[in-house]
This record gives sequence, C-alpha cells and structure tokens, in this order.
Amino acid sequence: MIRPTPEQKTQWEQEGYLVFENAIQGDQLKRLQSVFDYWATECKEEWLDRVEAGEAAATFYDIPNPLEKDPIFIDLIDHPSYYGSLMEFTDDDLILLGPQVRTVAPWPVSYTGWHPDVGQSNPLHIKVQIYVNDVPTGSGEFGFVPRSHKPNSGPYKRPLLQESMPGHKTFPGKAGTAIMFNSCGWHTSMDNASEVPRKSIILIYEKRTPGRIGPEQFAAISEHCTTPERRKLFSLAD
Amino acid sequence: MPKIDAHVHVFTKVSPEFPREVSPNWPAEREESAEKLLGEMDKHQIDQAVLVQIGGTSIEHHSYLLHCLKSYPDRFLGIGLVPIDHPNPAEHMAELADGTGIIGFRLFDLGGPRDIFATTDARAFKTFPIWEYAAEKDYVMWLYPRSIDAHLLPYLVQAFPQVRVVLNHLGMTPGKGKFTLDEFGRPQIQVSGYNLNMHTTYRMARFENVTVHLSGQYAFSRVAYPYKNLAGWHGNLLNDFGVKRLMWATDFPWILEEPGYGELTTIIEKLLPNLSESELADIMGGNAKRFLRFPNRNS
Repeated sequence: MIRPTPEQKTQWEQEGYLVFENAIQGDQLKRLQSVFDYWATECKEEWLDRVEAGEAAATFYDIPNPLEKDPIFIDLIDHPSYYGSLMEFTDDDLILLGPQVRTVAPWPVSYTGWHPDVGQSNPLHIKVQIYVNDVPTGSGEFGFVPRSHKPNSGPYKRPLLQESMPGHKTFPGKAGTAIMFNSCGWHTSMDNASEVPRKSIILIYEKRTPGRIGPEQFAAISEHCTTPERRKLFSLAD
Repeated sequence: MPKIDAHVHVFTKVSPEFPREVSPNWPAEREESAEKLLGEMDKHQIDQAVLVQIGGTSIEHHSYLLHCLKSYPDRFLGIGLVPIDHPNPAEHMAELADGTGIIGFRLFDLGGPRDIFATTDARAFKTFPIWEYAAEKDYVMWLYPRSIDAHLLPYLVQAFPQVRVVLNHLGMTPGKGKFTLDEFGRPQIQVSGYNLNMHTTYRMARFENVTVHLSGQYAFSRVAYPYKNLAGWHGNLLNDFGVKRLMWATDFPWILEEPGYGELTTIIEKLLPNLSESELADIMGGNAKRFLRFPNRNS
C-alpha cells in the first residue's frame, strides 16, 4: 500500500484535495474506457425512459449497479494509486458508500452548481473522481475551492456563473487522472462548452461509523471480495 | 406595492359564446369565473392576477379569457396557448395578443430531441418560430415543460436572451404518467424525493431573463398545507434565482376547496420565514408588476 508523502498529507490537510495523475494507465485504462463505453451505451435508453417518466435528470446519467457489471469497477475502489491515501486519512477505517459511473452531456450550463456534499459534523467524507476520457479546460472539469473544507472557512454562496466562485481552482486532466477531495469542501463540475461528453467515475467513501452501510449493500459482489481488507471496505460480513 | 397572483385559471360553462374543450377537471358544466376569482382576491387584498388559458389552443377557445381581460383591464393580464405544430404560429399569436391584454404564451412541449446528447441547435426545435416571434413582439414565454424537455431550455433561453421567461410551479417538470387528480379534483404530480430539477430548470438561474413561480405546492407535496416538506425547494430557488426573480401564485381554482385561497396568500411567509418585509412584498407582487409590466390598478 502506497501511503501519502508528508507533502501530500500537508496538502490534504491544508487544501482539502490531492491529484493523482496517471492513477489509471496503460491496458487497465484502455479496458476501463472500453467497459465504460459498452455499459453507457447499453444503459442509455433505459435512462431516457426514466427521464421521460420524471425519475432521472436529463443532463447526466449513471450506469446502474456498475460493480455488478464488471470487476474492473471493483478494482477501482481499492486501487493502489490512491487507496493508501484513503486509508491514511481515515485511520485505516474506510468504507465505500458507492460509485457513480457518470456520463455528463455537453450543455450550455453545468449540470450542477457549487456545493458541499456534507456538513462539518459528518464523518470524514471523501470522493475520488477519475477521468475516463481527457477532460480539458471548458469540458466539465472538476472545480474545487481549496481550504473550503475547513470549519472556519467561508461563508460561501453559490454564484450564478461557475467561474465566479471566489478562490476556486479547476482540474482539467488526462484520462486516468484521479482527484481526491474532502466533500465538506465546495466543489462542482465546470461548464462543458465542448462537444464531448465528460466521462468520469466518482467513488464515494467515508470514515466508518457503525451501521452506516449494511452487509447486504454490496452482497452481490461478495465473491470478488476475498481478502479481509476488501470485505471490510465493502462492509461485508467476515 | 401591489399583490399579484401570478398564475390562475378562469373558465365558464361551455356555450356558443365561450366554447372550450372539456376534461375531467373542467367538465362542460363547471364554471370558475373571473368574478369568483375577484371575490377571493378582494377578500384577501390581492390586487391583480395573471389569467392563464386552459380549455384549448384555438382562437375561439380563448374567448372567455379575452372577455375577462377586456372586462377588467386593470386587474388582469393574460397568457395564451399556441399549438406547437401550428403552420403559422406568428399569425395565431398576433391575433390573440394584439391589444388584448395577452402578454405571452404557455408551452408544455419544447419540440426538440428527447436525447440531450443529440441536442445542439435550437433552430431545429419545433417551438423555435414561437420563440422567434415572442422575441420580436416582446411576449413572455410561460413554461411548464415535460421532464423529457427540460434539457432543451437553455438552448432556447440562450438563443433569445431578450425574451422574458417564467418557469411555472416551482420550476418542476412533470414526468410522463405521473399526473393524477386527487379527491378535491386537484392535479397531483408524482415526483421523486430528490429534486431532479436541481440539475435542469434550477440551472436556468444563470440567465437573468428567467423567473420562477412559487406555486403549485399542493400538486407536489404529500403533506398538508403549508407543505413544509417543500421549504427546502423554496430555499434553493431563493438562493439560486434571488428574491427579485420569484413570483407568488395560487393556481386558482384548484386550491379553492383545499387549502383555500386565503391560506395560500400566506404560504410564502410560512415556507420562507426569513424574508424581510420588502423581500416578501417583491415575491407577493412587486416582481410580477415589474417583470410582467402590470398596469397600475384604477382605484
């Protein structure tokens, strides 16, 4: 397990984010892209039907139950590129809440505004966003306000224009880049003015609290979780 | 500052003078007249209202609406309907709106591709000529889009930044098959617990020509008046659009029996309790007067 360097630990504490370039690379990245595209295509019509029924938003969609569709998505959960940092920051008591394997359409506005996911009273809540395709500036790249995860920061207010958020930083990146951030911090997807959908995987973790995730949540992939560490991560019974 | 009910419906019994279509909640014999509305408004110190056409899109179907606008020119402005497949929408719109008090047109269907990934050019949308003529004549677009059309909005709003837009009923976008009538004959729209419009219509806050109705709570809430479970949605709209771009409305007559017109005149202060007096006055009528250009009321 690759633990974070002292510099990375300092940046995490102070800034609330870390970037892992080439976190996924080579053949694994190619397979991830292929699997992503296959399932995104397979699931699209069902998503459109759900949009029509008012059960899904029209501006993005997630592949349902991705962990059950291909083991490559399971392998991302404890990927060595960032797993050591996740464990370090949660005192080796990490659980997965869920993955979002997400395709975001180009649109004149971003599909979401600036927001934090949780409040300061929540147990440490971490997201890792992995770009599946190249995400240059202006194509829905991740945005974050460094230091906004700290209790004494702000107050912040959602601006009308994404780029008007004071103190924000954007994270364009190559396919395979992973961005880890404290979800207490204010973040968003910047506008996607390109003609290319943004494909990314958002992994959601938390420091364990009793009963947060039951053993049934990820029971369907139990056979892929053979080590004690992985079973703990997925809140599976021993 | 006047108090303005920014979205109501009136209709009378079907007659040769006032023909209209019928439906389960506006059958041929039902009458919810302008005078009945004015009675409620006067009782609760509401000065003016926007009458929104129901009962058909043809010119003839608008007869009662036009009659009411002519009879009470300082109390009402009107919103008409236009079929999106009309061969000459400009002609239809002009005939309805020329000096009549009709200031805009309501759309439910925006006429573009259902798939956002296939959507780029608003000029290909069926409703583009309607928007084009609205831009030329300074008409207001009154929108209650279907959920499958929600992604089309910014393309049109961006193409016509001069057109004033009013998103109806909390900016909600009803899903197909999710519409029913309740025991009081009120529309009920089944919605998901997580407000999906945060990712579509609420994102229209970016465009300064877009405003939103705070209305229709009864249709989306599953709790009784004052629909406290929707306070969060109201807070989000206030945060995103700001106090100057929200307009209170009752959706008369559907609310007459339950919870009653008077109750709805106080719903905003119940769901947004931290508003100042002047902010509340903006939402209760100041914004509608300014944005829709209501005339001064004759004393």
